[in-house]
Amino acid sequence: MSFELNRKLAAKRPALPCQCEIDAVTASIIRGALETVCFKACAHLGRAASSPIINQSNERNSSIIDSNGRLVVGSVGTPHLTFVTQLTVRYGLMHFEDYDWGPGDVFLGNDPDHGGGHLPDYNVYAPVFDDNGELVLVQALQAHQGDTGGKDPGGFTLEATDIFTEGLAIPCLKLVHRGEKRRDVIRLVERNNRFATFAGDLAAMIGGVQIAAREHQVLIRKYGTDKIRAALNYTVENTEKRFRDEISHWPDGTYEADVFIDADTQGTPDVKVHVACKVDGDQLSVDLTGTDDRQNLVGVWNTFGNTRGYIMIQLCAMIDPTIPKNEGLFNAVEFIIPEGCIAHPPPNKPAALGSFHPACEITEAVCIALSQVVPERAQPQVYKIGMPNAVIGFYDNGMMWMDQGVDSRSMDVSAVKGIDGWGSCPASLGGLLLAMAEEAEARFPVVNISREMTTDYGGAGQWRGAPGSLNIKKVLEPVSAMAWMVSAKHPLRGMCGGDDASPYSNHFLVGTQDEYKIELVESTQLPAGAVIAYQHGGGAGFGPAIDRDPEAVKEDVLDEYVSIEAARNRYGVVLRGSLEEYDLTVDIAATQALRNKLKSEKALGASR
Amino acid sequence: MSYRVGIDIGGTFTDFALLKGDEVILHKNLSTPEDRSIGVMTGLERLSEKEGMTLGDFLGQCDAIVHGTTIADNTLIEMNGAVTGLITTQGFRDEMEYRRGYKEDIWNAALPPFKQIAPRRRRLTVPERILFDGSIYQPLDENAVRDACRKLKKQNVESVAISLIFSFVNPAHEKRVAEIVREEMPGIHLSVSHQVLPRGPEYDRTSTTVVNAYVGPRVTSYLDNLVGRLRDGGYKNQLMVMQASGGVMTKEYIEGSPIRVLASGPAGGVIGSAHTGLAKGYPNLLCVDMGGTSYDMSIVLNGAAPATAGWNIHHRYLIGVPMVQVETLGAGGGSICQINGGELQVGPRSAGSEPGPICYGRGGTEPTVTDALLMLGILSADGDFAGGSFSLTQAGVAEAFQRLGEQMGYSAEDAAFDCWRVVNANMIQAIRRATAGKGIDPKEMVMLAYGGNGPAFAAVHADALGIEKVLIPKASPTFSALGTLVAKPTIDEERSCSFSAGKPDLRLMKSRWQELEARAEAYFRNANIHKRNIKFSYLVNMRYAGQNFAVSFEMHTSQGSQDYAFLNDTFGESALQAFNQRHMAEFDHIRDSELPEIIGVRLVSSVETAAPPVGEGFSAPASRATPLKIRRANLGEGYMDTPIFAGVSLKPGHEIAGPAVIEETFTTIVVYPGWKVHVDDSGDYEMRKLYHA
Repeated sequence: MSFELNRKLAAKRPALPCQCEIDAVTASIIRGALETVCFKACAHLGRAASSPIINQSNERNSSIIDSNGRLVVGSVGTPHLTFVTQLTVRYGLMHFEDYDWGPGDVFLGNDPDHGGGHLPDYNVYAPVFDDNGELVLVQALQAHQGDTGGKDPGGFTLEATDIFTEGLAIPCLKLVHRGEKRRDVIRLVERNNRFATFAGDLAAMIGGVQIAAREHQVLIRKYGTDKIRAALNYTVENTEKRFRDEISHWPDGTYEADVFIDADTQGTPDVKVHVACKVDGDQLSVDLTGTDDRQNLVGVWNTFGNTRGYIMIQLCAMIDPTIPKNEGLFNAVEFIIPEGCIAHPPPNKPAALGSFHPACEITEAVCIALSQVVPERAQPQVYKIGMPNAVIGFYDNGMMWMDQGVDSRSMDVSAVKGIDGWGSCPASLGGLLLAMAEEAEARFPVVNISREMTTDYGGAGQWRGAPGSLNIKKVLEPVSAMAWMVSAKHPLRGMCGGDDASPYSNHFLVGTQDEYKIELVESTQLPAGAVIAYQHGGGAGFGPAIDRDPEAVKEDVLDEYVSIEAARNRYGVVLRGSLEEYDLTVDIAATQALRNKLKSEKALGASR
Repeated sequence: MSYRVGIDIGGTFTDFALLKGDEVILHKNLSTPEDRSIGVMTGLERLSEKEGMTLGDFLGQCDAIVHGTTIADNTLIEMNGAVTGLITTQGFRDEMEYRRGYKEDIWNAALPPFKQIAPRRRRLTVPERILFDGSIYQPLDENAVRDACRKLKKQNVESVAISLIFSFVNPAHEKRVAEIVREEMPGIHLSVSHQVLPRGPEYDRTSTTVVNAYVGPRVTSYLDNLVGRLRDGGYKNQLMVMQASGGVMTKEYIEGSPIRVLASGPAGGVIGSAHTGLAKGYPNLLCVDMGGTSYDMSIVLNGAAPATAGWNIHHRYLIGVPMVQVETLGAGGGSICQINGGELQVGPRSAGSEPGPICYGRGGTEPTVTDALLMLGILSADGDFAGGSFSLTQAGVAEAFQRLGEQMGYSAEDAAFDCWRVVNANMIQAIRRATAGKGIDPKEMVMLAYGGNGPAFAAVHADALGIEKVLIPKASPTFSALGTLVAKPTIDEERSCSFSAGKPDLRLMKSRWQELEARAEAYFRNANIHKRNIKFSYLVNMRYAGQNFAVSFEMHTSQGSQDYAFLNDTFGESALQAFNQRHMAEFDHIRDSELPEIIGVRLVSSVETAAPPVGEGFSAPASRATPLKIRRANLGEGYMDTPIFAGVSLKPGHEIAGPAVIEETFTTIVVYPGWKVHVDDSGDYEMRKLYHA
């Protein structure tokens, strides 16, 4: 539990020792077979878990790590979980002898200071041995838990200054020994969770890795350990080669970006993330030197494992999506993440909120830095909301309920070169399902008043960001509510001359004389009938707005993504006719004149 | 003599199965995409000629014409449906755009958007709100509805979808909106969510209703056209149409709910498989259908392929009505083999039928799976292909694989063999994934293979999955058409309700079921089917609070009239027991401390129908068949002289041990080494595993 440990965990792992040669087709067939087992582990978890966040909203992931601790198969699920898993397992592997690893064992880890992301992301893993007793693989499953046994339900404590406030931290704990469940240990873990459904989730994770481990054994017997290892080496090397091949087509140079969080949870403003991406031939380095390292910041500490993972999510979005996701990605990139900065905290810092921010700002900064290089894929894989407005109350029988506020909405979908932002969220979050009014209102005393996109909310650009939604909700009974606001002062950034997204804003007691805006954090009691309204900032634009096809702007006005005024002011497009009559046309001459004027004003502004 | 005709229209061919007493006659002709009813009429004429009759006499003697159509799927593929508008609750304008956050590829930041059926300008909202308990929170603003109509008219909208929040609990507002739209837009095609899919949540219901509105006018005009042609030709009975749920129903019913024909194409084949498997004593089947562009997998358990609702995404839209579950992989005869990033890939890109594989000689230049089969000697350029439509050509095939081989560092034949390995591996993994999380072990199932290419690969997949028997019906190339004849006239509908299983509102459930019963009865009456012939199956939809999807199971069945005696004081307890059993089977757990809720009632009303008989058994004495010729072929163990048999000359009792190839009229069956094929009493093929390698 130290920077030294992180250095050890992140150190590059060698290829597996093996004697045989393997051809590309056999290697890909073996990889496909392992991927399928991984998929099945996830399917089992989805089927057997009892919490909706796992079994229906899909916040889960499955992956395989080899005996050298390399990620060899990243399967289905949530990319934000895929790339953290190997560090947790590596910590376990470092204690192979101590913890008496053997066939039939299952382990659990979630500790941010021992390779983990944040506490809610439980990682359950099972080693797979061949018939000679040699470790070949580790099958891992990750899922986000609804609670972690800390001070606040859900595990997100705004004022936490250490990890212990947030819940139970587990470096590596054996849940199953040689096929026998350790009931005392499992009971301890279950006890540290507020939700009754957790026991079913944990059992489903254990069941999932056990089933997968058995199937892996069948494959190991079929192909032999040596051939499996050769196939894994091949697939990792091929991914590295394909990634490097893409990098080698990027122009050499250093590409930098700064992204700011409005403030930490105590109001210290302008928390900075700095990224420099250096391309040199087929080598890419991502350097976070210059990122904020003020030790008194609260709530904005992203764990080391998570920082690596969130960088990788963005890099994966910017390369050929068919490249298999494994350690080869990490082998192709040099990470420079200074010890002690908010992207690599000292031990015992809280980790829950940091997985939102600065994690997403790190991702965003990588995207901005590389947006000139890969403009057609430069979409930040982020969520810029500070924290959804969760409301908590109690049923008549005294049981607690929590509406987590992860409602259907339009968040932060930026444009890329050639494609306007579309849908509800960036691609990498597209495997999760958002909550529906007709489900939530049957369970919780709330009414979803509105969640439509707001006209002109989002970044203009040659390609337009998706407009952010205004989510308005009324509570029908007294509740407690928590909020953390960011992205108001520093909204999501535009790419290559595109406009920034709009600022987020969040209001409580809407429509009453006591209505107020949340400037930073809030933890309060709301009366029955209170209305809360979260305005999402939408996606950012790509390229200069005055280069957008005027016909596309007209279509946007017809669809009320853009107002007639904004068409004129932001896009320099003059429209004739009326929206009410659906007979808008572009006044080509007036548009040209206005755009020329806007361009010269901009040039003038720049020269001053 | 009375006839029944099953017709399945595919992208390339229209298939016919004529049932004449116990005899089944198959026919195939080219589809006519500009007006698909022309191809149907051409085929019916050919069948009448075969029977030595005029078309009029033939159609006059047809008891039933049953039809599977891809018209709704084509409308969504080509995105050329009706100009569609949506009227929804204020505040909920953009659900169709959010899709609950769903995106098809989480790794692709450059994934193009789906084309919107109802762009934002045609999604209009009206102030109104109903709560989860059906109470009115905000009254309907009727002027806003009239204003919305005005806006939709200005945009030349042809079809209107109406979907209001909680309309499935209390449809009053939705009904009133529909009335106003009818007044303001006379003759408009209307789709109202509490009728199309009366259940939550809002995205599922709205999406289904909007797609219904989009495909509705085209489905209706197509069916009108076809019914007109059939009537003019002399057909006097109702046209029955295949639904995705696996049942058929009248044109009149389909026109009220056109969404039900979407994705119905594969359902016919699955229903045919279930029927065939059951007759031959194999109730648990893994069905694989490989055609030109895709490999479709489905599962039959205990002789049935139950239709389920859920996260069914088709053509980038969520369709919430129950469907027979079919998983699709982009792997077919036309799938293209290429090198990408140093890896050999097969599919999902396809050469289609035009230009098609290189060996079709129609200008194709990229090697495909069919070309690989030709290189391997499984297919041949000597003689007819696809029932005599044309012959294959070798020209250019070896050269194309040579180019692939050069990139991989080996010969053309090795490249073709590796393409065969890769496509097999893809299909095997796809089956494993399709069966994952369903509590099914493929080893315990029999594989049933059909489609033009299914029988060439089936045994390889069976081997890998530990399956020891593969059925290949003689009619496998036109199996979907045959399946439409097996499918029963069925109406499968639901109505919502909401209460704890501990306190079921029996009166409400009864009235909901009675409403569904009355609807079904009326449609069947119009099809000249009496109530006493209808089998009613009463299902409930239950879940734990907070689950997105419910489990659906049967509580009671009855033939004809029903006194609802099963809805008594013990109903809640028996529903709970059934739920626990089902939840355990499907999700591996139950929650001891929670009572589930009943969120809907469902009624499946169906009528037994005369299905084509399926022969079974192996009473004919075993005998050896004589090969037509010997060909050099590689069936997975290197090139060797391989006997080739003609399917037409094989008789019941014939046995052929692998390696061997059987050339059927419309398909090629490969008997791989280690397998032996037996021809059963009805001429169908059963392949059995001889030993484990």
